[in-house]
Amino acid sequence: MVTNHRMPRNEEGIATVVGVLKQQFGDRFQTGEAIREQHGHTTTWLENQWPDAVVFARDKDEIAAIVKVCATHKVPVIPFGTGTSLEGHVNAPAGGICIDVMQMDKILAVYPDDLSCVVQPGVTREQLNTHLRDQGLFFPIDPGANASLGGMAATSASGTNAVRYGTMKDNVMAVEVVMADGRTIRTAQRAKKSSAGYDLTRLMVGSEGTLGLFTEITLKLQGIPEAISSARCTFPSVDAACQTVMQVIQYGIPVARIELLDALQVKACNAYSKLDLPEEPLLLLEFHGSDAGVIEQAEMFGSIAVEHGGGGYTSTTSTEERNKLWQARHDAYWATLQLRPGAMGISTDVCVPISRLAECVSQAQERLKADAFISPIVGHVGDGNFHCLLLIDKANEDEMERAAVFVSWLNDLAISMDGTCTGEHGIGQGKMPYLERELGAATVDAMIAIKMALDPDGIMNPGKIVHG
Amino acid sequence: MMTPTSEQELSECVSQAKGPIAIKGGGTRGVGVDGDVLNTNGLKGIDLYEPGALTVVVKAGTELSEIETTLAGERQRLAFEPMDYRGLLGLEGEPTIGGIVAGNISGPRRIQVGAARDFTLGVRFVDGQGTIVKNGGRVMKNVTGYDLVKLMSGSWGTLGVLSEVSLKVLPMPEAEATLRVHGLDLNDAVGAMAAALGSPYDVSGAAHLPNNDTGVTMIRVEGFTDSVSYRTAQLREALAKFGGEITVKENADDAWAAVRDVENFHGKDGDVWRISVKPSDGPAVVAAIDPLEAQFDWAGGLVWVRTEQGSDVRAKLSGITGHATLVRGTGQPRFQPETIGVAALSAGLRQRFDPRGILNAGLMTA
Ligand SMILES: Cc1cc2nc3c(=O)[nH]c(=O)nc-3n(C[C@H](O)[C@H](O)[C@H](O)COP(=O)(O)OP(=O)(O)OC[C@H]3O[C@@H](n4cnc5c(N)ncnc54)[C@H](O)[C@@H]3O)c2cc1C
Ligand SMILES: Cc1cc2nc3c(=O)[nH]c(=O)nc-3n(C[C@H](O)[C@H](O)[C@H](O)COP(=O)(O)OP(=O)(O)OC[C@H]3O[C@@H](n4cnc5c(N)ncnc54)[C@H](O)[C@@H]3O)c2cc1C
Repeated sequence: MVTNHRMPRNEEGIATVVGVLKQQFGDRFQTGEAIREQHGHTTTWLENQWPDAVVFARDKDEIAAIVKVCATHKVPVIPFGTGTSLEGHVNAPAGGICIDVMQMDKILAVYPDDLSCVVQPGVTREQLNTHLRDQGLFFPIDPGANASLGGMAATSASGTNAVRYGTMKDNVMAVEVVMADGRTIRTAQRAKKSSAGYDLTRLMVGSEGTLGLFTEITLKLQGIPEAISSARCTFPSVDAACQTVMQVIQYGIPVARIELLDALQVKACNAYSKLDLPEEPLLLLEFHGSDAGVIEQAEMFGSIAVEHGGGGYTSTTSTEERNKLWQARHDAYWATLQLRPGAMGISTDVCVPISRLAECVSQAQERLKADAFISPIVGHVGDGNFHCLLLIDKANEDEMERAAVFVSWLNDLAISMDGTCTGEHGIGQGKMPYLERELGAATVDAMIAIKMALDPDGIMNPGKIVHG
Repeated sequence: MMTPTSEQELSECVSQAKGPIAIKGGGTRGVGVDGDVLNTNGLKGIDLYEPGALTVVVKAGTELSEIETTLAGERQRLAFEPMDYRGLLGLEGEPTIGGIVAGNISGPRRIQVGAARDFTLGVRFVDGQGTIVKNGGRVMKNVTGYDLVKLMSGSWGTLGVLSEVSLKVLPMPEAEATLRVHGLDLNDAVGAMAAALGSPYDVSGAAHLPNNDTGVTMIRVEGFTDSVSYRTAQLREALAKFGGEITVKENADDAWAAVRDVENFHGKDGDVWRISVKPSDGPAVVAAIDPLEAQFDWAGGLVWVRTEQGSDVRAKLSGITGHATLVRGTGQPRFQPETIGVAALSAGLRQRFDPRGILNAGLMTA
């Protein structure tokens, strides 16, 4: 386990708040160890730090009331969706109250003419898309987990569609937030007056629960494309695949998805998803558009791929074949874990300018090989973002140590290429040391200033992003 | 007047300032505030342009025209098509990229690709104490803490003076075509625009210019040649049910520049307001205001109106959610007053970034 930063606990405040909330919430207030452990960090090698209690909230008034009590007694509040975040985002290093929002799972309104909808934070992305399907609409952001939209907004999640549809930052139009003092604001109103001031929406999106808790989210929707086709193509090297990606992006071919799987990842997926893809570096693509458009895009891609030595190019408009391929991509994490049963997966998350992608991926591959790690590489390469998934034996200290050195080396490499240590997973606790390395002390100070302005007592999800 | 020629000098100008500073790029956006003028014209130049990475890094005082010319040389462009306010405001000068990012200045293509802030990948700025801060960079996405990049865009200089911005650029499309539906009333026009945007044909502009009763509704598609002609034909069919005569024009750049810059209002009297609502509320806005003249962009979500001088447009809009900006005229605050909770947050942010309250003071408060 990687130990986290310790923070002082406000024992007296916590005891008082626990007493008050227990009275008010009865069964929906839980202090059992199993539940508390589940509501701490569970997804990676970061140590699990439990909250003192978990409240299952049902509406925004309850949330405002809980936050007010916590504010009065200066007790931490940790918002919780599905708990799939990867950097210790939901840990409680100073204890406190976890607010689980998964019972707030209503889709409040869909406006087909305005291509927007309003949801409660506990709605999951799959639930929303199932609801929208009949109306010819969809919501494009698809992180690997079936996360809550509140959690996705809080981490500014993205997925395989980002190259065309952007990240949560591009798709959240407004949020209703309970702030650290228990007051509720809307970053942009459907109420009487609306503001054209600072972009508080995008300040809140990606703030990892450290500035406030979302109680409603207004999302931008897309019409389901007339046609969707998918394609795959193998390459002699990861470098050739990356060169192809760069050219596709530069040509402006509006690919909806362009994902890289290295040979080891293909092997893992073949075994897990019962496929027989050639075990070489692979690009998986999807095109969205009109009937004619997707054929045109696929052909243009094909000709660029051939120039870079791509082979075995196939494309299909069959929904069944397409779903099978993308299901395999989405299951890549589980497939990888099977390469070394019992091992833990640690995902890196660097993102670099497209022009440096080939170089960055190649260097990562070489070093993984030199260090003898079992670690496939998958990437949302259209954005310059890729993950190495290191399979580590938790019991082996030396291995843990070497993995930590690798992660640090890769983050620094990306930063040296004008890139970032995190393209989509966020800072949480795990990446706090890199924030200053990447952005400099003055920028971290500016972030601390924001934290102090909005949450002066530092009760909202403390110990994440910055120490306020 | 101060005209720093480096970020370091800019930082000194701000930290040593004794009173309010009025930040000036090209001075083309009609932002009048009191204070010592700080001109960004000394901070000029394209620092790094890498067509293959779809990114350009420029100093804040660089003129838009220079950037556009450079990008055009590689058949690339700033896809958010920033509006030019000069005609509307009767101003001269050269728009700078700093002003565009600070004001989040966008154009008709926003409904498809996003606004200026969505294309701003990184910023460097000097806060109200003179501290140099940077955030973001040249990557297409990152989640490194609070998004100062988006916060700066749309803050009109009140949180910091931009010194450098890094932007995402896109390839120019091979072809463009614009459908014009003639003679629709406002409701049908908004219906037609919603139908076009909800269709799978990837519309990159939806505007309506009411012209007495022979209004023109414009729908734009862009992309590869075959795809544009296919989509144009499909849209023509889909929009037939609205009844207006439909014509198609290729390369309608000028017509879209006219929409973007609200050319219909140029050289005419009265106040000009820019109103943001949800697109389906567009007709209700016009009905509530009863302006001298109106125009819809963003499928109805952006309503431009020209009114008699001194009209209190905001009062007339009560009941419709959205916000109104006074672009030309006096007597009302420029920006929509904020609700109490939001105003407190904004004031808190200003207090942290500019504790002396010297940067474009008062611009964003009523
Ligand atoms: C197998 C796997 C694959 C993944 N793939 C991707 C991927 O492709 N792309 C990607 O971006 N991420 C990915 N992730 C990470 C994770 O799924 C995302 O970060 C997701 O957005 C987290 O959502 P959640 O509901 O699980 O949030 P949680 O983990 O419950 O919470 C995450 C953060 O958001 C805060 N939060 C939660 N709800 C709210 C709320 N209502 N208001 C305010 N703050 C709140 C929490 O306090 C915490 O800081 C993956 C994770 C796994 C396990
Ligand atoms: C109340 C309202 C509802 C809207 N609903 C829709 C819609 O359903 N579909 C659609 O395509 N566009 C919607 N829009 C967006 C609108 O068409 C413009 O694109 C947008 O407001 C542009 O704002 P701006 O350029 O004036 O300033 P910006 O600086 O871009 O935005 C100003 C403020 O408006 C807010 N805002 C943007 N979208 C919404 C929204 N959906 N709800 C509430 N606030 C918002 C922003 O968060 C910001 O605080 C809505 C705008 C408003 C104000």
